Amino acid sequence: MSLESREEMVPDISQPRWTIWLSDHPLVVLGSVLVVLVLVTGVIEPNYLSVSGLRNTVLLAAPLGIMAGAQTILMLTGGIDLSVGMIATAAAYVAANQSPNGALIAITLGLLVGVAAGTVNGIGVGVFQVNPLIMTLAMSSILIGLFTALSFTVLQGSTTVNDFISTLGGGSFLGNRIPYNALVWTGVSLLIVYGLRYTGFGRLLYALGDNPVATRLAGVRSWQVLIVAYALAGLLAALAGILLAGRTGAVDLQLAVNFLLPSVAAAVIGGTSIFGGIGTYSGTVLGALILGVLATMLTFLNAGQAIQQIVYGSIVLGLAWLYARVTGVS
Amino acid sequence: MTTARLGSVRDVDWRVALRRYGWNTGVWLLLIALLVFYASTIPSFGSFQIASIAKNSLPLVFLAIAQAVIVIAGGIDLAVGSMLILSNAVAAQLMDEQAFGITLMVAVLVILMAAALNGAVGWVISVSKVPDIVVTLATLFIIAGLALLVLPSPGGGTSDGFRALFTGSATGTGTNFWPALVMLFVPMLGAAWWMKHSRTGLSLYATGSDPTAAYLSGVNTARAKIVSYAVGGAFAAMGGLASLAITGSGESRFATASNFTLKSVAAIVLGGVALTGGIGSVVGAAAAGIVLFVLSPVLSAMGVDPNTAQVIQGALIVLVMMIAGIVQLRRERAA
Repeated sequence: MSLESREEMVPDISQPRWTIWLSDHPLVVLGSVLVVLVLVTGVIEPNYLSVSGLRNTVLLAAPLGIMAGAQTILMLTGGIDLSVGMIATAAAYVAANQSPNGALIAITLGLLVGVAAGTVNGIGVGVFQVNPLIMTLAMSSILIGLFTALSFTVLQGSTTVNDFISTLGGGSFLGNRIPYNALVWTGVSLLIVYGLRYTGFGRLLYALGDNPVATRLAGVRSWQVLIVAYALAGLLAALAGILLAGRTGAVDLQLAVNFLLPSVAAAVIGGTSIFGGIGTYSGTVLGALILGVLATMLTFLNAGQAIQQIVYGSIVLGLAWLYARVTGVS
Repeated sequence: MTTARLGSVRDVDWRVALRRYGWNTGVWLLLIALLVFYASTIPSFGSFQIASIAKNSLPLVFLAIAQAVIVIAGGIDLAVGSMLILSNAVAAQLMDEQAFGITLMVAVLVILMAAALNGAVGWVISVSKVPDIVVTLATLFIIAGLALLVLPSPGGGTSDGFRALFTGSATGTGTNFWPALVMLFVPMLGAAWWMKHSRTGLSLYATGSDPTAAYLSGVNTARAKIVSYAVGGAFAAMGGLASLAITGSGESRFATASNFTLKSVAAIVLGGVALTGGIGSVVGAAAAGIVLFVLSPVLSAMGVDPNTAQVIQGALIVLVMMIAGIVQLRRERAA
């Protein structure tokens, strides 16, 4: 965090010391929020504080976290992807359709759908300078139309995935303690965190979001970086969709639609700036876990959908406000 | 903000005019071309079709105006769709089985409520310094939740007179297109005049164009933000009232809210409003709103099935934006 924010080079001595420390370690704040939420949920439903209770939250959070990874990568460049939900659904459909041919082919083709859609997004944003909101929005509506039509013809009846994908998305190991999708998520997280921090490509994402003109003048071919970034986002969204299909066991057009806004929310709660250049994936992981616990808590409270939405929105707003207050950046 | 060009009389030539009004004119020409094409495709084009297009495009046009006002002032409101279903739900509950006079009062009340609520959202944004898109992402959920609380399942109703006010007939379908056209053009031109000629309207352009410069020139930028959100809320409420008048009953599905929000963003960008703020006009956004609506009857008149139509619609939006991107790029290279 401190690498990216320029203002914090000069410590503000008018503030108490602990607020300076907190603003340098925003992950501590998020971690505390997460722990408090877990404990509150435990008070509401004592059974939650057990291996199986926490396992369920991770099971919920893993696809969201991977999708939020796509969002984080793009938000760092100053972009956003509103088509992650439909890309995930499309990939799940293709994986289900190819399931009889074995898991390897099914997963590979599913991921390819994501890469293809993401690449088109990247060409639109990088080469033709279409605003990312509009480009990905249009991609989403194209995919909805395409897959609604296909679900009546080529993809008809492709609603279940094969056993390997079901296990990967919904199963657990070590005596039903650790979900397989958490394992996938951990691997993806390590790759993203390493990639953003230590590879040239990762640093270019930050540079592009921080100052696109300076980056271009420094000799970077921005359009190439953007195409790769959007293709990667498509790949991650497709992976999340396949895991999700494995967890729910059935594929339909509504599969991942409700994950779009939470994926943005997870990145925002995790401290990634929507304007680009600031943010980390570790923050996003905590954001996804927070939203996962929140969803579990609201289910235990047995509140109606209306109350759930109000509480969900209020907490997202409250956390974003808190984050802006604590770190002084937004 | 292009009105503040310094320079000689030579600046006011056709190129400047083209740059200033070109996109707007283009969108209106596109709309006219689409309508002419539609009229020549279907067997009979008459007052029924005009009435149908005019009234059914009302909700999206109002939302496009709402989004345009907010974006021009430098914000973006992902919750306009939620505000639409909240106003729709509240109005449907309060107007059910009431006389025309009472429904009118309720309508005014609902618009004021939406303006106050969205003004409060604007206030939260300016106080918290959290980006607009984040705050309104949260209020998208909160306001949609409120709508669901007010109207848990589709229902409610309104008076015949109120339906006629927006649609021209008590049943919502008919051949009298004048009320719908008046409802389409009067608020649009009113908002456009207010944006371009009133002190407050111009302060919205100034704030969206460059908040720091506006602040240093004495514009109360916090007030501009709150006003833009309040006006946006009022127009979103108009959209909710219009859809109540069209269908005759209320509905509060979350999918409707997020769908309308996304369409409103597409409409303003197609209408020439820059998402960075300060550039564009309400009139262009409204025209683009009608274009987005008219595309579906046009495509279905051509015998395209709805799913393919959706693919074409998405591809067309991208194509238009790509052309705009290239034009912009060439202009920058030339400058």
